[in-house]
Amino acid sequence: MIRIENVHVDYGRSPDRKKILNGIDAEIRAGEFVSIVGQTGCGKSTLLRLILGEEKPTQGRVLVDGMERSQPDRQCGYVPQKYSLFPDKSALSNVTFGPEVTTFRGPWAWLSPRYHRQMRAICDEALAYLQHTGLSEVDSRKYPHQLSGGMQQRVAIAQTLVMKPSIVLMDEAFSALDPGTRAAMQRLIKRLWRESGATFIFVTHNTREAVCLGTRVIGLAKTSGGGASIALDLRMDHIDFDSAENDVQGAVNRIEARAAQPPEYALL
Amino acid sequence: MSILRMHVAPARATAWILSWALFAGGICAYFTVARQRHLDNPDDRVTPTLAQMAQAFADAALKAPGDEASGEPGQSLGARIANSMLWKDTKATGRRFLISVALLLPAVLLGLHMAMFPYIGSFFLRFVQFFDKIVALSLLPILFIAFGIDELAKIMLIVVGVTPTIILDTFNLSKSVPREQIVKGFTLGAGDLRVAYQVVLKQIWPRVLNSIRLNLKAVMLFLFAGEMIASTDGLAYRIALLRRHMGMDTIIPYVLWVALLLFLVDVGMSRLNRWLHPWFVEAS
Repeated sequence: MIRIENVHVDYGRSPDRKKILNGIDAEIRAGEFVSIVGQTGCGKSTLLRLILGEEKPTQGRVLVDGMERSQPDRQCGYVPQKYSLFPDKSALSNVTFGPEVTTFRGPWAWLSPRYHRQMRAICDEALAYLQHTGLSEVDSRKYPHQLSGGMQQRVAIAQTLVMKPSIVLMDEAFSALDPGTRAAMQRLIKRLWRESGATFIFVTHNTREAVCLGTRVIGLAKTSGGGASIALDLRMDHIDFDSAENDVQGAVNRIEARAAQPPEYALL
Repeated sequence: MSILRMHVAPARATAWILSWALFAGGICAYFTVARQRHLDNPDDRVTPTLAQMAQAFADAALKAPGDEASGEPGQSLGARIANSMLWKDTKATGRRFLISVALLLPAVLLGLHMAMFPYIGSFFLRFVQFFDKIVALSLLPILFIAFGIDELAKIMLIVVGVTPTIILDTFNLSKSVPREQIVKGFTLGAGDLRVAYQVVLKQIWPRVLNSIRLNLKAVMLFLFAGEMIASTDGLAYRIALLRRHMGMDTIIPYVLWVALLLFLVDVGMSRLNRWLHPWFVEAS
């Protein structure tokens, strides 16, 4: 479970101090798929980095399973919009990287007689994950720059899920993709969420995407006092990609109308 | 005029001719001047003819230093080359050059650690930035006083001259690795050192090799300065020695030999980089 308690984030020093987040309170239960929506620059990615442990709040605290995190670790998987893959490694090596570094300690591990046997098992598992996300064995040998944007994100998702994290954080992961690929990736990620049972937190500025993916939608909006806070927090279990267009559009309209109001009045 | 138009490119053959035109012009100009000077004064030593340079280079490549005869009669060609002045000088300079390049590797690691670990960065950065501004050649007398006139002073000159640049270059390259990649490394279970070495260093390595390659001329510059002032062997020592005797017929081939060696090292490193990191060449 993730608890966000009265979190404030400020950047810079006075008089140029800039407020990013202003009193965020939220609780995310294990296994939820939470979409975070909001306009560009309203602190969605900052909130993600706080959960990740990459950043610390100026005030308040973020607890993951009751613990404050000091730095990112394997408990949280992370899929950013870009730079998600290591350019010097093939798709398969990108996916085997995590299992390899957690299985073998030290630079001389490859000298061990067990290394090659274990490595073969790791490669088989990584390949299975890649194929599960829709990549072929031929694609697995390619370097990231030889893959399309959609394929790269498929590898990034396989790379993250192979570590079996309890929380998966995705930061505008599909923003750079064309509409067709994006729709396919949305369906893929929803399927993988159901199969994995992990908590997914998906940051997007696309309300429709947030509504169709999330079982819950949290909207951030800038307050009159500077910084963003939660403008809406809605359950969306009943809406899916297969829901009627009217239902989806209705939910999108509701969220966008709420988000347009200052959070002080819109907060549910 | 098409030479001042950005969207007009020369044809392949024209581009090839243009790329060699300055070489051809330089060579023609030299031999015209040399011919003229030799007509005026047959003993001219300032602009040796091609035959004189070829003879001097052959002597340097086949005769031992100070040997007037063309080697011992029964000696094989390999043995004559191995005892020759050119080979001995090349070996001496090459050894110093390799030691100096090897000393750049710790500089790469320091730059990486400075970028990745804030405490190490805070400790070293300001000092290295200051060190980088010191004109290495101005330290030459101090180095010779402190380390004597043997190899150590020459190596130290290169360390002082080139190492700060490599450290700062590696530091900047490491800093330019997207933060997402570092976070990704941690979320995949890697520790700090593994992220530094297996994520960051592996990504910047081709660029670091390029940086070292581009600094090789600076390495040679400092090495030559040291050899010219205090040495008993080496290519620069020989050039400095021949200068006293106006031995231009040997100096010019030596300069061309050094340029050729540096060019070959440059091409070799470039090819090696391409072979070791196909992902880097294709991606960039």
